Formats: sequence, structure tokens, C-alpha cells
Amino acid sequence: MSLPIAEIGEVLNLRNISPDVWDMDVHSPRLAPLAQAGQFVHIRISDRFIPFLRRPLSIGPIDKDVIKLIFIVRGEGTRLLAAKSPGDKIDLIGPLGMPFPMPSDDTLAVLVAGGIGIAPLLLLNQSLPKAVDRLFLLGMRSLKNTPVDLKYAALFNLQLATDDGSAGFHGNVVDLCSQMLKGQQARNINIFACGPVPMLAKIKDIGVTLGVPTYLSLEVPMGCGVGACQSCAVECADGSGYNLVCRDGPVFEAKDIILPRV
Amino acid sequence: MIDTSIQMGGLAFRTPLLTGSGTFGYGDEYRTLIDYSAFGGIITKSISRLPRPGNQPPRICETQLGGLLNSIGLANPGVEVFIADKAQILPFDATQVFISVVGDAVEEFVSVVEKLEFVPAVSGYELNLSCPNVQKGGLSLGGDKDAVAEITRACRNVTKRFISVKLTPHHALVAPLAEAAAAAGVDALTMTNTLVGMVIDAETRRPKLGNVTGGYSGPPLKPVSLAKVWQAAKAVSLPIWASGGITCGLDCIEFLLAGASGLQLGSVLFADPYAPTRILREMSEWCEKRGVKKLSDLIGQLKT
Ligand SMILES: Cc1cc2nc3c(=O)[nH]c(=O)nc-3n(C[C@H](O)[C@H](O)[C@H](O)COP(=O)(O)OP(=O)(O)OC[C@H]3O[C@@H](n4cnc5c(N)ncnc54)[C@H](O)[C@@H]3O)c2cc1C
Ligand SMILES: Cc1cc2nc3c(=O)[nH]c(=O)nc-3n(C[C@H](O)[C@H](O)[C@H](O)COP(=O)(O)O)c2cc1C
Repeated sequence: MSLPIAEIGEVLNLRNISPDVWDMDVHSPRLAPLAQAGQFVHIRISDRFIPFLRRPLSIGPIDKDVIKLIFIVRGEGTRLLAAKSPGDKIDLIGPLGMPFPMPSDDTLAVLVAGGIGIAPLLLLNQSLPKAVDRLFLLGMRSLKNTPVDLKYAALFNLQLATDDGSAGFHGNVVDLCSQMLKGQQARNINIFACGPVPMLAKIKDIGVTLGVPTYLSLEVPMGCGVGACQSCAVECADGSGYNLVCRDGPVFEAKDIILPRV
Repeated sequence: MIDTSIQMGGLAFRTPLLTGSGTFGYGDEYRTLIDYSAFGGIITKSISRLPRPGNQPPRICETQLGGLLNSIGLANPGVEVFIADKAQILPFDATQVFISVVGDAVEEFVSVVEKLEFVPAVSGYELNLSCPNVQKGGLSLGGDKDAVAEITRACRNVTKRFISVKLTPHHALVAPLAEAAAAAGVDALTMTNTLVGMVIDAETRRPKLGNVTGGYSGPPLKPVSLAKVWQAAKAVSLPIWASGGITCGLDCIEFLLAGASGLQLGSVLFADPYAPTRILREMSEWCEKRGVKKLSDLIGQLKT
């Protein structure tokens, strides 16, 4: 894993995918080649310190010198990010954090995304060795809230689950996941998931039940992003204290951590 | 070229810029990102005798209008692990290195200092008598002038190195605490630590921090820390290290005028780790425009 670098990237393209969801392409020729799936960038939002902190976003698909960020507007920071224009400069630190481990060729990789949690999984999907079989599942409230351009659905054979039944499986992505894994027990399975904590908790349960390695990518409030301030703590399952999401994660093996309270 | 060097307690600092304890880890976390040459010194995260896990998360949140609240709870690996893991990587690029020391009782401060005496790269200590995020020690010790005197004297007895004492902003009267530390023979005072604060999410009816309250830092703290620096500088003739709300060169000029000799960059580093270089440039430009040749000429020049 490479050490993080500082780079002033340039916004190439910014598109509104669905209400509050944005897709931003950032030219970052030094950072892009270093990035691995699961890692993130820490973005300066305002030169005037309001909001004060940087904002962490997962690194999405990479196209040569360009990284894609996919984000949902939650508050002031993401609102200001969505207000950028092509040509604007953007202050990045990255790639940060520990990436997803790469499974061996005989593995069935099960990628489970809850809404905006798809961002790091798109890069994982892109990075997995060709030989690795995969199931790529995406859950959302409704097709109206899709976090990605639906061209990906066809391209990556994305299996959709919607709460309102507007596309794909009618129900949540966890139920879709359990259904699709029935009968696969004989295989060497690895689960990779990113999404809201309640979803991750259920995915962890599926992993435990099947006894398969399960990797979760966490999103928690973060300060420095480089392991200096110890803000983004997550409890270790063995009672030994805390790991840091920025330094030891954001990807953790589910059995190693206690998921944060929501 | 402006002369940015400062002499304090027998040590030479190439600039007055220091890091605020707890905002720069153990000094190496930023090594691939920033240029250390703008720093005169680095102050580590506070270190205790035994490891401390820290508080229940969430440990950080923003406040309105650019403030920050943290409840890290002095998470640190303890002095022995620190020495084993980090001692050999110190110092960085000729900065002075200060270890922030924390404890629940006098004996704990002394025992941490004694162990660190064997680490050659250490220039001195900052005794943290003001952490708002722990049950014992911290604020409860740091608000009592007898405790301040006792801890400082006990540490003074086991080291000849530079000592600064970091005092709480929670006392209306700075002078008695500052005088107590000065009489015990310290080399500097750090003014000041975070203020106790709280943020509530009305929607969930929960506090935003796992520890309910936290330490308030960032730009909104500046007027408070300016006043504390000024009061301390009036009370004692020791160098004062300013901490609280610094984000730019002009902030630093104001702190120098109020009587500070050292300028700690804290929360600003999270947003802008390149702040040291920028701030040094901004201070130099300010001085050049006004014919000020040495930064140290500004110290305590406030007209009242
Ligand atoms: C490693 C990492 C990777 C991330 N990757 C992505 C990504 O690819 N795409 C993306 O959209 N987001 C991602 N996030 C989350 C993103 O950083 C936050 O949504 C963002 O910082 C919110 O900033 P804001 O100023 O818009 O909202 P704020 O003003 O900070 O918050 C607005 C409201 O949203 C809540 N909130 C903040 N963060 C979260 C969260 N993570 N989950 C749920 N509620 C939250 C706050 O409590 C508050 O009530 C990631 C987080 C981490 C730690
Ligand atoms: C995340 C965080 C952790 C901190 N940890 C410590 C600490 O361990 N010891 C200490 O003396 N001060 C600690 N502080 C206080 C800072 O050193 C500084 O005094 C305070 O934040 C005010 O300065 P600022 O506004 O420039 O941040 C911490 C502050 C923050 C934001």
C-alpha cells in the first residue's frame, strides 16, 4: 500500500444522477494510479473553514488519470461539493485507508451495496481478477433513488433490489443476498459490503451463518483522515480497544469489529 | 527575509510554530504530505503511563460557524509502547520535540517523565493539566493551583529539560495558576486547552458525541485563548505558548502582540495540513509590509 499524497485535482465532469446523488469525475494524475478499491480521498471543502473539516469520499471507478466520486448530499459539505463546476480545483489527500483484500481466482465474490455504498464496490468490481466469479447486488429505496447511472446495471450485471418494487427484487438487498447465496455453500465465497450500518449488521450475520470471510467498508465521523487525531474509532471485537477507520479501515473483516451504534 | 527564530528556555526554535497536542499524532502521520521546515517544534499527543483506549465514539463533530468538538479521551498506547514504537523516528527535520504528558495523579506524571528522560531526541515536556475529556486528572487537577504547583515541582525535580504547563481556559483567574506553575520552575505556559462544549441532534434527541460533552476548539475559540495568553503574559515573565483558534498568519500576529512566543496550530491541521508553510508566509508578508524585521520584536507589543 502506498503512502498518501497531496494533490490538487480538477473537476472534469459533474452529473446529477438522481435527487441528491452526484457523480463527479476528478482529474488526479498522481493519485489515481495509486488508488486501490476500498480506499478514500479526504477533500477540502472550503478555504474559509466553514464547514471546518475535510470530507471523506470513497474512490469510485478509475479511468486512467481520472477518479470518479459518487456522493449523496447530506449537509453543507456535500452541498458545496455538488455546487462545483467543471474546471474547478479540488484539494485532495489520498489514497487513504486499507483496501479490500483481493480474493483468489476460485472465489465467488459477492459485492453488496446499499445505496451510495456502491462507490467503492464499483472500483472493487473493476479491480477483481477477471477469473473471479462475482455477484454484484445493489439495494435502494426506489429506482428513482438510484446511486448510479443505470447503464452500469447492464454492464456489470448488477442485481437490483428496491424497497418499493420499482425494479428488480421487491425487498431489501440483504434478503436478495441470502436468496442468491442459497445453494452456493459448496463454493469459496467472499462477501464485500458497503452501505448503512443496519444493512452491514445483517450482512455480517449472513457471513457468520455461512462461515465465509466478510469485509465491510465503514463510514463514521472523521477528523484528520491520516491516523493523527483518533476521532474515527471503531470498537475491536476482541475487547482490545479501538481501531481507526481512516488508518486500519475503512475496510474491516466483519468478525474483527463491533459495528457502530446508529 | 524576516527573522522567524525564537529563543525560549535555552532552546532555539527556527520559527514560533508548534503543533497542538493531539492534532498531529506522534509527528510521523503527516510525513509524506507536508514540509516540516515551517515548524519550530512538534508536540505529541498526550501520553500516559498505561495505555488508554479513549472514549466511546462518535468522538468528533462540527459546531455551527466553524467550530469543532472532540471527545477523544486521551487515547494513547502508554509511555512504554510509545518509546518502543516511536522514539527512534524522532525528531523530524530539526524540529524541537516535546512530549505531552498526562496523568491522574502526581506520581503518574513523574513516572512518564522519568521514562522519557532516556529518549535522546526529546527536547522537553508539555504537562497537560487541562484535558476536559477524562473523569480524573485533567481539569480536576488543573483547576487547583496547589495541584498545579505540586505536579510541576515534582516533574521539575526529575528533569532538567524544558517544561511547559498547559492550563485550562475554565478559570476566570489565570494569574494564580500561572504564578503557581512559574514558582515551581517551568520554562513556559501553554494557554490554553479546549473549552467544555456539547452538540445535540434534535431529530434523534441524542448528543452528537458518545461522551456527551467534548472539547471545543477551532476558530471560535480564538478570543478566549487570546485573553488567556494576554492575562498569563501579564502575570508571569515566562514565554507563553498560544493554543486555540489559529488558522492564519494574522491570527498569529495577534497572539504575538498579546504576549505569545510560541504559536500552536491545532484543529486547523485537519482542514489544512499545509497551514504551517502558509502561515509562515502570511506572517512574513505582514511584517515586510510594516518594516518589522524580527517576529520576536512583536511579542507583547499590544498597546492598552
Ligand atoms: C471512508 C469513508 C468513505 C465515504 N464514502 C462516501 C461516498 O463514497 N459517498 C458518499 O456519499 N458518502 C461517503 N461517505 C460519507 C460522507 O463522508 C458524508 O456523507 C459527508 O461527510 C457528509 O458531509 P456533509 O457536510 O454533507 O454533511 P454533515 O453536515 O456533516 O452531516 C449532515 C447530516 O448527515 C449525517 N451524516 C454525516 N455523515 C453520515 C454518514 N456517513 N452516514 C449517515 N449520516 C451521516 C450527519 O450526522 C448529519 O445529521 C464516506 C465516509 C467515510 C468515512
Ligand atoms: C482531536 C483533538 C485532540 C486533542 N488532544 C489533546 C491532547 O491529547 N492533549 C492536549 O493537551 N490537548 C489536546 N487537544 C487540544 C489541542 O491541543 C488545542 O489545545 C485545542 O484544540 C485548541 O487549539 P485549536 O483551536 O488550534 O485546535 C486536542 C484537540 C483536538 C481537536
